Amino acid sequence: MAKKKEKLIPAEYIPDVGSQIVTIDGKKCLVANDVMYTFYQRSKGEFSQFFLALRDDKKILGCKCPKCGIVRCPPFLTHCPDCDFAPTKLVELDQVGVMLSTPPITYFANALFLKMAPYGRGRVVLKGADTALSVNVYTTTGILTPGIIKKGTQVKVVFRDDRVGEISDIFCIPTSELTRAQVARKGLLSSQINWEAPVEPTLPKATAKETEAYNKALKEMKSIIRLMNVTERARKDIAGWKRDIQVKTTGGHFAILINNGDIKLEEKKLVKPDFVLVSKNPKTLADGLAYRGAITDSVIMKRLWISKNMEFTTIFKLDRMARSVARSKK
Amino acid sequence: MSKRVGIVGAAVTPFKAKWYEKTYYELAQMATREAVKDAGISINDVEAVFYGIYNDIFERTCIPEHPLQGICGMQNKFGMRISTGGATGAYTISAAHAYLAAGRFKTALVLGVEKATDCFDFLSMSATPEVIKSIGWSADSFFEQKLGWTAADSYAEVVLAYMDEHPKDLKPHVTAKISSLLSEYVKTNKYAQRQHDQVTPEEVMNSRLVVYPFKELEICVYTEGAAALILAEEETAKRISKNTGMPVIWITGLGEANEHSFAGKNQKVMPRIMSDYYGSHRAYKMAGIKDPKKSINIVELHDAFIHQLEISMAEFGLVPLGRADSLIEDGLMLKGGKYIVNPCGGLVYSGHAVGASNIMSAWSARNELIKRKKKTALVHGTGSTIAQYTAVAILEHD
Repeated sequence: MAKKKEKLIPAEYIPDVGSQIVTIDGKKCLVANDVMYTFYQRSKGEFSQFFLALRDDKKILGCKCPKCGIVRCPPFLTHCPDCDFAPTKLVELDQVGVMLSTPPITYFANALFLKMAPYGRGRVVLKGADTALSVNVYTTTGILTPGIIKKGTQVKVVFRDDRVGEISDIFCIPTSELTRAQVARKGLLSSQINWEAPVEPTLPKATAKETEAYNKALKEMKSIIRLMNVTERARKDIAGWKRDIQVKTTGGHFAILINNGDIKLEEKKLVKPDFVLVSKNPKTLADGLAYRGAITDSVIMKRLWISKNMEFTTIFKLDRMARSVARSKK
Repeated sequence: MSKRVGIVGAAVTPFKAKWYEKTYYELAQMATREAVKDAGISINDVEAVFYGIYNDIFERTCIPEHPLQGICGMQNKFGMRISTGGATGAYTISAAHAYLAAGRFKTALVLGVEKATDCFDFLSMSATPEVIKSIGWSADSFFEQKLGWTAADSYAEVVLAYMDEHPKDLKPHVTAKISSLLSEYVKTNKYAQRQHDQVTPEEVMNSRLVVYPFKELEICVYTEGAAALILAEEETAKRISKNTGMPVIWITGLGEANEHSFAGKNQKVMPRIMSDYYGSHRAYKMAGIKDPKKSINIVELHDAFIHQLEISMAEFGLVPLGRADSLIEDGLMLKGGKYIVNPCGGLVYSGHAVGASNIMSAWSARNELIKRKKKTALVHGTGSTIAQYTAVAILEHD
């Protein structure tokens, strides 16, 4: 059941051999591209049954102490330390549970989890268990925003179609987003759920007032981007970064072009943008660039729409540039 | 009968986002040179060294302390590394204290160093994501790492669980005010990474969400640097003090606790940081402190996140659980208030050089006790998944 054609380290993560000189106080400092790596054939040992049950049987196991009766999930031990190390017994658990507490949502992910972001990770107490299992939580309704999944929210375990015997073979979504049959089904697969595909929002034809607002916002954005382009700190924020962004707003379309320290705004349509950003109100983006509120927050709160969640990284960089310009003014 | 132990020398290197011009070898030696100078002794007079280094990956070396033994002039002497996540520095102080109190040594060097931002993410062309990734290897490797565990989402779990119980506490305008306040305090810390980065509460509120509910300006920044203390048992400490003219700052209390790493019945209580509760209250007991609200003047608290700073203050018993916002709303940590909290700027503004951070906090607490002529300070370190580890030290001025 191993995933095919996947490498433990994706090729795009691996930098070239190389080095650079950084001059500090007139002295040359050598900085080398480097790596530490170790491969494993990792024994899952006493956890093998748990992970094999996830992978092969779409079941979730816990362990029960015959003395105190506590059922732990995950079954991370074989003997109960609360009962003088009485041996525990594996038991199958229900695939519905409740969130132990409100889960955090990660918007700024590292390279390993960039494709997952934004993602929630919380703890579910499955029916029949006394302890909580760490799981990723998602919604079928688009980007996960605060308030969708909270303490006490009932959730259903969903199994990925392509399972490898890891904890990431499963995740949870609120039962309120599923049919009764789906909630009742053991071993519900991700492919058996309707996921909302990202649909680019349509924009209304601009009124005269909206066109005026667009022109005003555009003028401000041009001015800020010019400033970003001459602010050393802001230029550093996009060093080594290249993105062509098509921005669509009520009133007009334009492009933001980022290229290794340079940033430009051009009133044109791109043939192959890296991603599309839709801002119904052009002022939302202008506010973000002017450091009057984070652009990422606007994406999270659905005031802005981006065609690729992975491009949160670029949005972070725009936020950082806005802050760099604000700091340089101090 | 255990011996009294005090701080007789202390030093820090500048905390910088990146030290291109120095390796961790040189940073460690810089802090050591300055600490023995501050104590007015030779390195030959130091009998043992305790290293606080959190993460092998940052230093790109397993057993990263081994080159430091010779570099720091400790050849053929006792040397031991402590690594307990974010609480590494505070635990290192605790370990050194135990050996001195037991009479094994008369003097010891407590040396924390970290070089985090050599880690570099070539996809985003920035260091921070790779630093976060490196710390991610600290998560449970069977049940959590592959879910995208990070230090921030792990602490956010605890903070959100606290907010589930106390929805009216940790209000956004209060956390923003605390961050802004710390940015004012940091102005006087010439070694801090963000000495000149003063922010308004509005700017904090407007900064981006990194991990809900944490905003960028409510999170400590990863940094590079070193910090060192010279500890001595009572007789030696008094002799050194007489020589330097600097008072001994006594370590009168220590307390530590590590919680369960899994949550639920009989395990981690998610809305609490019980490690902070046990650590602080054990330290109070050892120091003979009956009412911390009356005794504690200065707090150097490991503010990995501003929200956690507030919860930690409550777990220390300095404000009520569920009313941590009284730190601002009742003026308890405002200038002139009851508590002086993180006068160095905390780790949010000084920077978090993990193994060195709590040692830097002890350096600051010692300075503040002497400068402000205050009696008692609390130094704190927190770390590991879901705020699992805590070590607390009580420092007292004669």
